[in-house]
Amino acid sequence: MITSLRRMATCHWSARRIQRYLDADPSAPLDPSEVRRLEEHLAVCAKCREVTDEHRALHRALARWSQQRLPDQAAVARMKDVLERIVQEEK
Amino acid sequence: MDVQRSHAFTTYVEPELEVLLRVARTLTGSAADAEDLVQETLVRAFRAVHKFDGAHPRAWLLTILRNTNMNLHRRQRPGLVEDWASLGNPRPAFGAAAQDSAEDAVLKDILNEDLEVAVNSLDERFRTVLLLVDVDRLSYAEAADALGVPVGTIMSRLSRARDRVRAQLRTAGASQGRKS
Repeated sequence: MITSLRRMATCHWSARRIQRYLDADPSAPLDPSEVRRLEEHLAVCAKCREVTDEHRALHRALARWSQQRLPDQAAVARMKDVLERIVQEEK
Repeated sequence: MDVQRSHAFTTYVEPELEVLLRVARTLTGSAADAEDLVQETLVRAFRAVHKFDGAHPRAWLLTILRNTNMNLHRRQRPGLVEDWASLGNPRPAFGAAAQDSAEDAVLKDILNEDLEVAVNSLDERFRTVLLLVDVDRLSYAEAADALGVPVGTIMSRLSRARDRVRAQLRTAGASQGRKS
């Protein structure tokens, strides 16, 4: 019973950190002790591991959109022309 | 404006043009409007370059882009992914043979069109953050600059957006499972 409650508490704690763990964004890094605790929990908790795997899968699917939504190179070239014109007009 | 400053402006801005176009498209919901917005942003940035210290050009430009967008009173639905046809035919978003893995198998039956529906059904505030971070590949801080909100707000909206998309994809997957 106590073990089960402790596991649930750790699941709750982990759920609030899984995305930061996966993103590793410089604005919100987990500290090493948090990373260690989370990884230890993921090693034994199938439910939290599944959530983590879903986030990874979603991230990959959206990353594919990213590749498909790159700006048209013609648009980038037009913006370079605009940039050049702005600078030239000032000279 | 001296030549040196003009050169500095070009040096700051040119590497960021692609990012500006991506973010502008997310904010305006249209590739054509994105070009207009970036063009106006460049004009305003050039006028203000004498006040820029040269640190973090992307953050500086994203802030100007956001303010410019607000000033232009765009009427588009921001963040709506408007041109799915250009992303190819609907197909399984996950689990393509070459990329299959244990974790992709979790959601492998989800179709790209389900992902589209799930993302577009998000409230605009959540969808825009999801697109800026997960599709346009901005950091939390850059997304905060682009939207003029604190990093903590970006994190909470992003977390909710992803959780809602996951939940909707699960529902869609379960529904397809029942049909088959």
